[in-house]
Amino acid sequence: MKKILILLILVYGQLFALEKESTLKIYNQIFSSLVSKPVVSVYTNDKEYKDVFSYSDKIKLVDTASVADIVLITNRLTLFNVMKERQWMEQLDEKPILFVTDYRLLKYSLDIVGAFYWRKGRSQLLFIKDRLNQYHISLPQEYHAFMVDTL
Amino acid sequence: MIHKYTNKYIFAIIGFLVLFALYLQYSIKQSTQELKQQEISKAERYAEQIGAYIESKIVKAGKVNLEKQPHLREELNKILSTFLTEEYRYIFLLHKDDKGHYRFLLDGSLEDPVEYNTIFFPKSNLFDTVYTTQEPRIIEQKEGVEHVWLSLLHPIVINGRTEALLVLDLSKGYGEYLSNFNSPLMSIVTLMQLFLVISLLFLAYIAYHYHKLRESVLKDPLTSVHTKVFLQEFFDRESVDEYDAILIDIDEFKQINEKYGYESGNTVLKRFSRKMVDLLPETAKVIRTGGSEFFIIVQKGGEDFDLLAKTLFTRLSEQRYFVENETISLTFSMSAIIVPKGTNSIFNIQRTLDEKLLEIKSRGKNELAVIGTLTSDEIKYKDLDYIKEALAEERLLCLYQPIYHTKTRKVSKYEALVRLMDKEDPKKLIEPKYFINMIKGTTQYIKMSKLVLRQVFEVLRQYPELELSLNLDLDDLYNVDMMKLITQELSRNKKAANRLTFEILESNEIKDYEQVALIFQQLKTFGSKIAIDDFGSGYANYVYLIKLDIDILKIDGKIIQELEHHPERTKVMVTSINELAKVYGYEVVAEFVSSKEIYEAVSKLDVTYSQGYYFGKPEPLDPQYISQIPK
Repeated sequence: MKKILILLILVYGQLFALEKESTLKIYNQIFSSLVSKPVVSVYTNDKEYKDVFSYSDKIKLVDTASVADIVLITNRLTLFNVMKERQWMEQLDEKPILFVTDYRLLKYSLDIVGAFYWRKGRSQLLFIKDRLNQYHISLPQEYHAFMVDTL
Repeated sequence: MIHKYTNKYIFAIIGFLVLFALYLQYSIKQSTQELKQQEISKAERYAEQIGAYIESKIVKAGKVNLEKQPHLREELNKILSTFLTEEYRYIFLLHKDDKGHYRFLLDGSLEDPVEYNTIFFPKSNLFDTVYTTQEPRIIEQKEGVEHVWLSLLHPIVINGRTEALLVLDLSKGYGEYLSNFNSPLMSIVTLMQLFLVISLLFLAYIAYHYHKLRESVLKDPLTSVHTKVFLQEFFDRESVDEYDAILIDIDEFKQINEKYGYESGNTVLKRFSRKMVDLLPETAKVIRTGGSEFFIIVQKGGEDFDLLAKTLFTRLSEQRYFVENETISLTFSMSAIIVPKGTNSIFNIQRTLDEKLLEIKSRGKNELAVIGTLTSDEIKYKDLDYIKEALAEERLLCLYQPIYHTKTRKVSKYEALVRLMDKEDPKKLIEPKYFINMIKGTTQYIKMSKLVLRQVFEVLRQYPELELSLNLDLDDLYNVDMMKLITQELSRNKKAANRLTFEILESNEIKDYEQVALIFQQLKTFGSKIAIDDFGSGYANYVYLIKLDIDILKIDGKIIQELEHHPERTKVMVTSINELAKVYGYEVVAEFVSSKEIYEAVSKLDVTYSQGYYFGKPEPLDPQYISQIPK
């Protein structure tokens, strides 16, 4: 019985690891396309994403949004806090790129360049052209299909 | 014969069951596929009906553009939501904007509904295809899609133009439910397959070990020649009369073991058997039937068997063996038989060769004897079961050979001689030489003796003047059961007992004269007489005349026959025996009186009684002759 339990835990752990791996793969690609650096500094306060990114050698987690290349926002409260910090961030030479995990968050700020979220069971990747231009970001060809002018 | 096919049948049955299980598995998969197909068709019809309904609603509203129709959108969203069930996870309407992006027109989801005109990136190019072709399509969702099994795309066409796409998503759970619908049955079939495959493997494992075991049973581990079991199985499928046979026994092989040790003895046996195999034709089979005894069967139709046997004997005799720094040669006794047509028992052949081998051994060993004149009947009579059956069916009769008074030439008495009748042809009579040694010492012998005594006493009762003599082996005297039977019969037939003579035959020397004398006395108390058969040869010697109380001497036929070839010397011997018998008061019978010349010689020598083919062969009793017996 004990062995079966251990086996179940291992199988579940393995499946969970697979899900983490695929998420990490997606974000590695998205962030690499947004920032042309071998290692991208990312700020997020989402515990799950932090856990996922901790396994990446292309993503470096940072503790404050101001020193990050990309800020990943997963909820409205975080967005609100980030926006507050944003005001003094304006003085920085390179402002962090904002990226969200919810379509609705895109509407709250014109600084958010894109989102990766799930809709009707389908993964959706979306970039807004004007906002990318604001950061002087030019995405590779394969992402052009996901770029829109307006929401 | 049964087990030979049983293995194959078991394999065939299990193989058939495996195929049947595979067929079941295929059928179940087919049935699951059909079930899924039925459900998909149902969903297609469903999507078509919903699409038609939406179209009618839009047409009725008179406006294709729903942007400025929030109430209509709300109404239609509500309607769409009513179609959602456990099977249909999402239902929504998309349209393409000017830039070619899909955007939501309607969404039937109650939880987390999508706002009007929200952008949507489909995961398949088929969306565009349906938009263009206006033909409904089904997409099986794979990567980047969760909770959705199939998406049914139905175009909303108004006035010949695709205005939107109705997307009906079948839930992943429903797909899994359908896939697993037959899974209990599938599990049973899989278990059945597993069981059958394990059984098949287990059977194969058993068959492999059985094969190995059979090999060890059929092949002698020391010499690598065949074993007795092989012989038995071989003739289960082959005809005995298509082979000739040889029996070889190495003389005094025990001495080699004792002198050089068993290991050396084994080496000699290995080389001897290898040499035999080399010398024999390929079709011949060598079987080790005993420690140093080998039985060989050679298929007929090859080289002359007689020559083959002689060559084998010579070449094996020439063979030398190097043992313990010494070169030794072997002597052996060999009997061979040209098996007659119609013979069907290999054991009868073995027995015949065995008897011949014993004969060779008693003559001094190191000899080859080829039996070529036996008939299949004669070999058949050596079958113990055949003899048993004959005795059980009482296919036994006594023939009677007359014993004549030499001077008067009148029948004095008869000697009863036992014969068995052939099963198929009762006129064919089987002489004791074929079966007597085989049954001696067994209950069959007692049974035969009982039948003989019964017939003899019946004849004696029927003919009150008749005297009969009956052969009794010396060994019978030592047999408690036999003596019990004789004394019982004598007691039962007391009146006739004094007309019965027991002719004592010897196969061995008497060891205990006192015991024999006592038994003779016992027989004589019933009035029966004692005759010594074959006197003058073998063990029947003069000591008998001193130590035993007998009544008749029967001079051995071999001596009497010499009256023809060496008359003078033989006459001296016969006269001597005759004179001696007269002194002791014994009657004398000359056996083997087969010609007129012998009869005249016997008559001149004054031998009282004569017996032989000159007077008469053993035949059934003829009352006409009996009447001639002097009273």
